[in-house]
Amino acid sequence: MSFAGWIFLFGTLAVVGPLVAHMLAKPRYRRIPFTMLRFLRTGQTESQSRRKLRDIVILLLRCAIIVLIAMLFARPILHTKRGPEESRSVYYLGLDNSMSMAYSDGAGSYFGKMVDSAVEYIRSADDDGIFNVCTLGSGDWASGLSKERALAEVKRMKIRPMSTNVSEFFSALRATRNKERSSDISSVFVVSDFTPKTLKQFIAVEKPAAVDNTDYKLVGSRKPINNAAIVDAGVNSFADGKLTINATVVNYGQVELNRRLTARSGAGKSTSMDINLFANQRKTYKVQIDTDAGGQEQLFLPVQLSLSTGDGLKEDDTFYLGVSLPQRKSVNVLLADKGRGEMFLLRTAMDTLSRVNSYETLNVKQVLMDELIFSDLDWADVIVWSTITERAGEIAGDLKKFVKGGGRIVFFVAEEPSSRAAKQLWEEGVVAARPGRCFRERAYIEPRPCSSVLPGMDNAAAKSLANYRIDKIVLTGYLECEQHPESSCLWRLQNGFGFVYFKGLGNGTSVLVNTSADDSLGSLTKSNASVAFCRYLLGQTNQIGEYCFACDERVILPAHDIGVSSGGRKQFWVETCDGRKRQAGLAESFLLVPNPGGIGWVKTLSKPVRYAGVNLPEGETDMAKPAAEEVAKVMNRIFSPDGRQDTAVAEILGEKKRRPIWKMFAWIIILLLLVEPAVANRLKR
Amino acid sequence: MGKIMKQSRKYLDPVLLSKLANMNLVAKCAVEGFFSGLHPSPFHGFSVEYSDHREYHPGDELKFLDWKVFGRSDKLYIKQFEQETNATVYILLDSSRSMSFAGEGSVSKLDYGSFLAASLSYLMLIQCDSTSLILFAERINKHIPPRSKRTHLNVILSTLQRNKAAGQTNLADVLHTVAETTKRRGLVILISDLLDDTGDIYQGLNHLKYLKHDVLIFHTMAHQELYLNYEGLIQFEDLETRAKIRTFPQSLREAYRDSVSAFVDEIKKTTGAGGIDYCLLDTSAPLDRALMAFLAKRKRMM
Repeated sequence: MSFAGWIFLFGTLAVVGPLVAHMLAKPRYRRIPFTMLRFLRTGQTESQSRRKLRDIVILLLRCAIIVLIAMLFARPILHTKRGPEESRSVYYLGLDNSMSMAYSDGAGSYFGKMVDSAVEYIRSADDDGIFNVCTLGSGDWASGLSKERALAEVKRMKIRPMSTNVSEFFSALRATRNKERSSDISSVFVVSDFTPKTLKQFIAVEKPAAVDNTDYKLVGSRKPINNAAIVDAGVNSFADGKLTINATVVNYGQVELNRRLTARSGAGKSTSMDINLFANQRKTYKVQIDTDAGGQEQLFLPVQLSLSTGDGLKEDDTFYLGVSLPQRKSVNVLLADKGRGEMFLLRTAMDTLSRVNSYETLNVKQVLMDELIFSDLDWADVIVWSTITERAGEIAGDLKKFVKGGGRIVFFVAEEPSSRAAKQLWEEGVVAARPGRCFRERAYIEPRPCSSVLPGMDNAAAKSLANYRIDKIVLTGYLECEQHPESSCLWRLQNGFGFVYFKGLGNGTSVLVNTSADDSLGSLTKSNASVAFCRYLLGQTNQIGEYCFACDERVILPAHDIGVSSGGRKQFWVETCDGRKRQAGLAESFLLVPNPGGIGWVKTLSKPVRYAGVNLPEGETDMAKPAAEEVAKVMNRIFSPDGRQDTAVAEILGEKKRRPIWKMFAWIIILLLLVEPAVANRLKR
Repeated sequence: MGKIMKQSRKYLDPVLLSKLANMNLVAKCAVEGFFSGLHPSPFHGFSVEYSDHREYHPGDELKFLDWKVFGRSDKLYIKQFEQETNATVYILLDSSRSMSFAGEGSVSKLDYGSFLAASLSYLMLIQCDSTSLILFAERINKHIPPRSKRTHLNVILSTLQRNKAAGQTNLADVLHTVAETTKRRGLVILISDLLDDTGDIYQGLNHLKYLKHDVLIFHTMAHQELYLNYEGLIQFEDLETRAKIRTFPQSLREAYRDSVSAFVDEIKKTTGAGGIDYCLLDTSAPLDRALMAFLAKRKRMM
């Protein structure tokens, strides 16, 4: 038995306490004069010895409790001898089925060579041996197999579009070895192409695994490596409906390559260019694609980049990139004033936003409501009304047409909006809520909107409004608004009245803000939050988004307006790279797909369809031939024949097996604590 | 009747008697309390001095029939007389230190023996028996020779009142000495805890029996001596030898009781075989049992 925390064994010195107490203790007794002592003497010997026995037993019990507690803290470990057992042969096969093994030099693929080697190794092994097969790429572990089953397992193996994961192999190896008998003879056989990335993982193994026999097979080609790969791609720019992609191509081979790089968008339009790469050269090319992105809606575009065939590995010749394009380059905002200077603060905020945000152009035009002409409606993408006036009622039909056509209209309210105009707009369905009675009292806005995912609004801006402490801004008044049946209240005042109402109509949206654009009802546009609030009202940002992930990563898809159709659902269906339908969770404004299922496209099944590209990790298909000496050195280091370097495994494989017994000590202590008073009372009688 | 007996028995309670300072009062109280609870007829003596007549009952001795009354009235009457004897009674009271043991909440064995001796002396002297008192421990400490005068009671009682427990028990030698020094045979009443070598005690008692004495032993023992009802760790200290034993009495109670029982049984058996009357007295019990035993013995002597 040994102790993990032997320092606590000094605690056993505490037994001195009860020993000293026992020696110094004088029993308390009564003195009674008596006469019949000769009769007492008959039982006296028994009584005295019983008392001494009791004292000694109690002393021993107490000492034992102290010693056991000290030993418990010292965490005892029991060494038990293993019984003589028959020796068995246990084989561990680490087979690399990562994507690089798909390389073919014309005389067969690396993977095929690996399977042949593994089959040959298994056939030459003992018939009654136990086989454990681990695929280094997918991390699958089949343990305790017979020879036949191991052969079937190897033959059934497929290449997985993944990188090797050596650490999983080692952890599984150690876990399985713990269950082995000490007499077992363990043999490890690793087959891989030992690409630089794989070899780096083997080198990174710090703690060697103790095995009796080590063998490995370096799968390679005698011919010069011929492989190029697109390792990265990203959007360079987007202008006039043309998307420029930066594609990074690497020649992993040892020969010069002349290939053709093709970029293809989802619409089927493609662009090609010839490229030339020297051996081990890395180069970035700009490829331009015509997207036809001229509409109002944000466009999600799958962009596929591919190299013409001609090398030994075609899987890394394609790169998948999902791109979200902005709605349009510029947004025309028309500010319709009731009187001059009323929208000054709002205009200032818009100008600031135009300078700082991601909009390339935010054209702001300010007109008086009475002077509003129909050409203004044609020009504007967004119309902001400082309040609902008679003029708005007069052109309610035109405004409806404007919204239906994809326009966005924002109504602020003053103290006395025109009820007739409001009624007309309400009947046309243009306004999200009908303003009514005005309350001249203080009101505060809720710090956050009603829902974290708000359709048609800029959710990031909504979050930033909370940071601006929008809930501290004092509104000097508000209106009692009647919500349209087809609209929704996105934000509320702290007293329960609606603050922002939203209504979709055709392709456009209508927003009503229950405060004024000037300072008559609220201080919002005068505060620091005014710019963020403008951004919130104008809707989603117009940035270009790129969605491409490695195959061992979690895929994230944008879902800004997915809440409109979600109906409160938290799970959505997506199609993954292997063509299977999988569930994706909704988090904030993103869809999370844990398993992309290979390389290719992950896309939403509901419209509008969003794409995310899944590709091989960079460097996975770097087929540079490793030095055989280096591989041998690494393999000899990480698989230790004598096991002395692997202390954890060596302890298990030793003559004695270590077993923590602190639980047993704890139970004994509890038992002794229960027994001690019982013994003391029993012997006292 | 039972109520009267119960009330009268309270005068026999040793604890109550111990509160009476005057030994004369103690003796009177005990004896009269004893008699007031008994049917008087069995204790009428038969002597020369006429006392009364009563109707004949079958079983009465015919020699006591009054034939003159029969001749006159054709009725059978028994003639009763005042009891009158000249018996000599030697009361031997053990005054060794062991007799000072009282137990818890009880009178000491010496006090109990003194009350008994006083009561017996009173009882005998009113019957005009010669009464002698011998106080002893290792040897005879005080010897009051037998007298039958009523005034002799005062001598006995004052001696008992002054008596203190001292010395060790040497009962065998004392019995031999008494046997050798008493000139007239009579009733020897031994009041002792008999804590001496039993073989020696038997030899002394046999010596008395050999000299034709009637012997009555009142073996006085405290309740705790009989049953050892102590609890906890106790150091017992011998009153005579000062020996000490520290023990848990509860652990050896059973063995102790067995030993004491065997000791008493042996004495009872041996004395019974030798024609010696034996009466074990618990000092926590009233005195009537002892007085009853004495009267039974006295009647047998008639």
